[in-house]
Amino acid sequence: MPLYGNELADDISPLEAGLSWAVKLNKGDFVGRDEMVRLKESGVRRRTVGFRLLERAGSARHGYEVQQDGRKVGIVTSGAHSPTMGSEIGLALVDADAAGIGKPLDIVIRGRPVRAEQVKLPFYRRDRA
Amino acid sequence: MSSPADRKYTRTHEWISVQGDVATIGVTDFAQSELGDITYLELPEVGGALSQDQAFAVIESVKAASDVYSPVDGEVVERNDDAIAAPERINQSPYDDAWLVRVRMKDTAQIDTLMDSGAYDEFAQSATH
Repeated sequence: MPLYGNELADDISPLEAGLSWAVKLNKGDFVGRDEMVRLKESGVRRRTVGFRLLERAGSARHGYEVQQDGRKVGIVTSGAHSPTMGSEIGLALVDADAAGIGKPLDIVIRGRPVRAEQVKLPFYRRDRA
Repeated sequence: MSSPADRKYTRTHEWISVQGDVATIGVTDFAQSELGDITYLELPEVGGALSQDQAFAVIESVKAASDVYSPVDGEVVERNDDAIAAPERINQSPYDDAWLVRVRMKDTAQIDTLMDSGAYDEFAQSATH
């Protein structure tokens, strides 16, 4: 879930934060509607993606730089240790063309790029009996 | 719980216990309690140099990444790889099983400026809010 202060901020649109389902463009006017229509038509330039670290290097935390092929493509918006999954997971806001399952990311932790894989959200679904 | 009387303490919640010119360094029970569940530990290599009051290790918990500061100048002669493999030991046994490094000290007089267990317990008490 996007959290204001992490995945949402003054400079992050709801479409980039994965909240397009909450933005109803066909239910009348609202403050900012023109901008939402414009963004939807031009395509979002950044996306919120889920990732999982592939090496033990500590947790990814808010603000850490995200790289791909050695160049900066975004930042970590939140990260945590997952006891359920036994790994470090997180969300990052990255350039749209860097997003996608199968495209590796490197999260810079204490100056060192740490390899991560992008994962589908939600990270975990409890099996229903 | 009062801290062990056989060692000295820093204002940044490390303990140091001396045998000749080799000192063992760890973090206190107060530190592990404030940190919460510890998930990751980074320690220097054997042979690495430690400088008094400089960060030499990182402890990550669910809450935050925290630096550990060296009470003395010296050279790492042993490090606790078991604690790296199972960092939760720091929560369970901060004064015994989860020592962090052993250091050959440059100047044993540096110990004299540190707090004894009584002074540290008072210090930690006033730090609690």
